[in-house]
Amino acid sequence: MGWRRFWQRKLRDEDIAQELESYLAHEEDERANAGWSPEEARSAALRKLGNVTAIREEVYRMNTLALIDALWRDVRYSLRQLRLNPGFTVTALASLALGIGANAAIFSLFDQLLLRRLPVREPERLVLVDWIGSKVGTNWGSANLMSYPLCRDLQEQDRFFDGVFCRHPTVSYISTGDRPEPLPIEIVSGSYFGVLGIRPEMGRLIEKADDLAPESSPVVVISYQYWKSKLGEAPDVVGRKLLINRYPMTIIGVAPATFRGVDPAESPVLWIPATMNGQANLESIPLLSRRAQWMHIFGRLKPGVSAEQAKTGLRPWFRSMLEADLKDADFPRVTPEQRRNFLASTIDVTPAPGGRSDLRNSMKEPLWVLMAGTLLLLLLSCANVANLFLARGAARMGEVTTRLALGASRSRITGPLLSESLLIALGGGALALLVAPYVSELLLSFVSNKLSSRLDYRVFLFTFVVCVATGGLCGMIPALQAGRIQLFSSLKERSRTARLSVRLRKALVAGQVAFTLILLIGVGLFVQTLARLQAKGPGFATSSLLMFRASPASNGYSDVDAKRVMRELLQRLENTPGVESAAIANTQILAGGTSSSSMTIQSDRRIVTDRAVHFMRITPGFFATLGTRLVAGRNFEERDLRDPKNNETDYRSIIVSESFARRYFENRNPVGHRLGFGNRPDTRTNVEIIGVVKGFSRRTLRDDRDNIEQAFVPYWDRQAGGGAFYLRVRGGPEAAFASIRAVVAQVDPALPIVDMITLDDQIARSLTTERMLAILSSGFGAIALLLSVVGLYGVISFVAAHRTQEIGIRMALGATRRSAVWLIARDALVMIGAGIAVALPCVWALSRFVEARLFGVHGVDGPTIAGASALLGLVALASAMLPAWRAASVSPTEALRYE
Amino acid sequence: MARKTRSDGRGDMLLGTLDMLILKTLLLGPAHGHTIAHVIEKSSDEALQVEHGSLYPALHRLEDQGLIVSFWGTSENNRKAKYYRMTAAGKKHLTHERSRWESLVQAVARVLGPALE
Repeated sequence: MGWRRFWQRKLRDEDIAQELESYLAHEEDERANAGWSPEEARSAALRKLGNVTAIREEVYRMNTLALIDALWRDVRYSLRQLRLNPGFTVTALASLALGIGANAAIFSLFDQLLLRRLPVREPERLVLVDWIGSKVGTNWGSANLMSYPLCRDLQEQDRFFDGVFCRHPTVSYISTGDRPEPLPIEIVSGSYFGVLGIRPEMGRLIEKADDLAPESSPVVVISYQYWKSKLGEAPDVVGRKLLINRYPMTIIGVAPATFRGVDPAESPVLWIPATMNGQANLESIPLLSRRAQWMHIFGRLKPGVSAEQAKTGLRPWFRSMLEADLKDADFPRVTPEQRRNFLASTIDVTPAPGGRSDLRNSMKEPLWVLMAGTLLLLLLSCANVANLFLARGAARMGEVTTRLALGASRSRITGPLLSESLLIALGGGALALLVAPYVSELLLSFVSNKLSSRLDYRVFLFTFVVCVATGGLCGMIPALQAGRIQLFSSLKERSRTARLSVRLRKALVAGQVAFTLILLIGVGLFVQTLARLQAKGPGFATSSLLMFRASPASNGYSDVDAKRVMRELLQRLENTPGVESAAIANTQILAGGTSSSSMTIQSDRRIVTDRAVHFMRITPGFFATLGTRLVAGRNFEERDLRDPKNNETDYRSIIVSESFARRYFENRNPVGHRLGFGNRPDTRTNVEIIGVVKGFSRRTLRDDRDNIEQAFVPYWDRQAGGGAFYLRVRGGPEAAFASIRAVVAQVDPALPIVDMITLDDQIARSLTTERMLAILSSGFGAIALLLSVVGLYGVISFVAAHRTQEIGIRMALGATRRSAVWLIARDALVMIGAGIAVALPCVWALSRFVEARLFGVHGVDGPTIAGASALLGLVALASAMLPAWRAASVSPTEALRYE
Repeated sequence: MARKTRSDGRGDMLLGTLDMLILKTLLLGPAHGHTIAHVIEKSSDEALQVEHGSLYPALHRLEDQGLIVSFWGTSENNRKAKYYRMTAAGKKHLTHERSRWESLVQAVARVLGPALE
């Protein structure tokens, strides 16, 4: 009712106007008939009727909703103002679009990775179960790892859980009949889909019955996306066979489109029951061993049970489980200390409504840094817009006082200011949403995963809230300022109000300078981190060095045949034209992982290494291929291979790194001494050190060859079913890639090549987080610098214009131009100085949050701070000099006539 | 800008009285604003002086309440005029208001008692 009237208020007003006109006509008719003159009749009729406008207004008010009407009026007024000042509008819009766009993009990533819940039934009841302490065993994966039998144990803890499942993400070679493709899969317990509450899109999902005995149920559930992209949405897909690592398995169902696993950053293409792990997993993990840690265990809490309650309640069971484990036949022999550590382990239960993600764990911190950076940027944009408003407010003082004098209420003066800033913020937000997907895309290219750069409703909502907050923030200060204007102020008072507004603007600019300096120092730190890591390098020349992985043992070969294939591959690759040298290592270097062990060294006395030694198995050509130098002793030869019949020793010869020699042999030559793997009193020291080599970065570039100890043993001494091939090539890597593929195809056309990559690319990839922080913070820093330069320029121009007259008088009295420039520039210096003074303690306070992301430079770094301050100071001062110089260039006579 | 309350235009008339008078007038049949104003003025022996303009907001309000409906027509002297007609709801409202009014008058009379002289 009310709304219909509201929309019809214009129409109704016309109606009433006509009706009143009709009354007047009738009244005039009557009086004309009585013999009045037309003029007299007209005025008498008007008298009889009363105040026509008042009547119309009364009816109009009945029809309108006062608040909305006022709002609409404000909006129209603001739009007119914005149209009349295109320069102002464009600057303000651009400032806010930059600030809001950066926020929307970062938030999109932030939301997908850190905030969002899994699209499953009641995700808030999901928890991750973890083992805190020493597990004793072998790990496959990065964190939160548990054994498969432990998951089964937990399934019986129905006092706390409505269900428990476990999962292991891995990569398998999947083939629909053509060339196998390495794709991410999830190996899951039979309870997986049931506990999550997922219903199939088609067919059925993996059930408890699929998870009873090893190798009993060769079935897979495929993801909706895989079904759509690889299988053409075939309606008869259920019942078809897929080859998983050459093992045929039957498709039993398709998962719904919304469900993409429990890792928000990694979507498996299919799910396989844990009992098929032996076939589905390239890694050979003993399924039923309690010492094989590879599964992530999730539970669904019973309603009303908290994670904390479950954790406390599970403690007695966990303790008895530890005791039982110790008595297990396959529990390794441990020292009393290791046994104590094992028994001191505890169980942890943490809420996991968003699932679990390695990417989340590694990106959490950088994302917070970025989010904080973008919020700073937005505050900067706000300050800029507020500043623009204040400048315009000062210019419009005359208009405002006139309107106040004509009876405008204060809300009518401040209302349009707020609606104007809201309009600009919303406009900026709309522009930002056009830009945000591209920034998002850029971000995603750094983290390289399966997150979406598409903006969803949550990002829109966030952007809207940010816009409204921004608009309020930008408009509030100028609106408060406008509300303070006194109507009957003398000229003197008015100038005081103006001075107050200038002081406010100066404070805003000082704030901008401070924010910008913080960002610029961040840029300095992140750029230096990246540059130092790149300059340092891994300790060997990476150009024209290639790597690929192959694993015949995982592709149907027996161990003996696999070893033969590896030998043949190496031999053929060494003899390929364009290949200078080739070698095999059992694991990839600079890929994050490592194998390490403590060692016992027998020199003049028996010493145990005080920290784990990183070791790898290599073929003799490895050092030559990498280009690292032997500094003592000799390289591996045939005679260093272990006698296969001798089971007393793992290896016969070993080469250690220079850092190893320095740490444990000081100035003596270690060649000829012996050592053994392990730190037990009965560890046999029967491996001879035959050489010392210059080390290199093992896990990441952050590893320094001087701060990690390395050891190398012959590749062929152990099972040699697969590994990483390293090749030093001549000419471009593309040609080499082609010939490598040809060589592999000659040996076995079906043998997959994994991760063929140049070392340059691999290193670049390993620096993604560092590069992301460096590039994005540089972008933010540049935007911030631009914004504060605009802010400073605006204020100085304003001050200079106001003091033109004063400058004229001073110059007429004999002041030099330089002193006139100084008069204005001093203001700028004070603002810049104040900004820097505010920023420095903040930098000190914030430094510890970024310390962990830095390399070769500290959070509080003198040269960086000095450099950033100098850059900011110079640029800012330059932007202030222009208006100052202009003010000082006006001839005194002109200046005196000014105003 | 000075704010006017809604009753301002109705002079000293009791709140709601004008509504009743309008409804009473329309009991005789549809009429336009000018007629209604003059009928009210005449039928009260010009004891109730109404500023004719104040009639219109009242008409607007009654129409919104659904007590009367309006239509544009041609008047007796061939001019465009907006006519008002009472609805069933309007009739009921008038009856109700009249009995309320009468009981109010009786109650006031009882309180005041017979004239003193």
